[in-house]
Amino acid sequence: MDETDILIGSVMEDAWLTLEQIAAACTADPEWLAQRLDEGCFPNAESVAGVWRFSTGAILRARRMRQFERDFDAAPELAALIADLLEESDALRARLHRAGLD
Amino acid sequence: MEFKDYYKTLGVTREATADEIKKAFRRLARKYHPDISKEPDAEARMKEVNEAYTVLFDAEKRAAYDQLGRGHRPGQDFRPPPDWDSGFEYSTHGYSPGGTADFSDFFAELFGRMGAQPPHDRGAGFRARGEDHRAKVLLDLEDAFTGATRQISLRVPRQDSQGHVHIETRTLNVKIPRGVHAGQIIRLAGQGAPGHGNAAAGDLLLDVHFKPHPRFRVDGRDLHFTLRVAPWEAALGAVIAVDLPQGKLKVRIPEGAQSGRQLRVRGRGIPGEPPGDLLLDILVVLPSAESPHARVLYETMARELAFDPRREAPENNHG
Repeated sequence: MDETDILIGSVMEDAWLTLEQIAAACTADPEWLAQRLDEGCFPNAESVAGVWRFSTGAILRARRMRQFERDFDAAPELAALIADLLEESDALRARLHRAGLD
Repeated sequence: MEFKDYYKTLGVTREATADEIKKAFRRLARKYHPDISKEPDAEARMKEVNEAYTVLFDAEKRAAYDQLGRGHRPGQDFRPPPDWDSGFEYSTHGYSPGGTADFSDFFAELFGRMGAQPPHDRGAGFRARGEDHRAKVLLDLEDAFTGATRQISLRVPRQDSQGHVHIETRTLNVKIPRGVHAGQIIRLAGQGAPGHGNAAAGDLLLDVHFKPHPRFRVDGRDLHFTLRVAPWEAALGAVIAVDLPQGKLKVRIPEGAQSGRQLRVRGRGIPGEPPGDLLLDILVVLPSAESPHARVLYETMARELAFDPRREAPENNHG
């Protein structure tokens, strides 16, 4: 490929990511993600005809959970709880931003 | 290439136990965690800490690093002797937070070949898809309305004929589609790490971020804008022109508008399916009463309007 070539990317749309895509995006084994799904750590994932579908937000959640488990030996449930709290904090920061208060 | 003192990075002595190294890493991982750290260079420091921990927590890598690093000082020019790593058996296991693509040239030169080879114990027929790589792409808000082409530089480990790994800079020109918004991910198929055994390469995932805009705040595809209006425009109603990131828009302000009221203009945010909305937060701005004429006008209003804002909105008056 030449350096002047222009690559055209595809936008990963909400609710269309597979388990394998989420796992690859956070350098995790699909089995790791499947276990967390069984444990209820991804409450917003949907199963359609037996196939898991994720929003793009699940990538950030998976990356965070994986980091907490790896860096602090956190139990999956604790990593999920911290991810919940960080998502809540993200939502509050977004409200501050919308109000022009950040 | 500069020598890196991984012990100094983690703040431990060369005699530190594995447990002490782990504790030091956790303390720093908390301090520089990207979600909470207020340190301006938190992301760069976290990469250094991850790199140091990757080496020192792994007994094999630590032993090799200790042998090689004897007598070197941080920042000192460093070149490993040929075959420096003979006598050390590396496994591909161990700690490697989110891959090693972000690590320094120093790390790539010393340990890069570990990541460049497939695991020893999986046989000659081993095939595995390459890792996905990630990068941030910083866009102007205007790019979301028009689309854009951005040049992205990535640092990629490459193995030479002697098996040594060097970091190379790879430049990609990427077309950003119109309608993209912050938080989305753009996937460039096959632009991640090469696969093992003829398997497919991974993808490059670009996290979309916008630079702060001086006038608009962005929330998904919605745009927020503080619309400053004069008291008579708010009181009597008015048609006001608003400059958008692309084009202009005339907005009708209803009679009796107050500060804090929000007007929604559907479909005039970032384009898409569906497009976002433009949200106008009204802010009534008073003219100064410095000139004698303005002062007379205010005094006339005070005398003739008999207006008491505290009686108008008693719920806001706690005094």
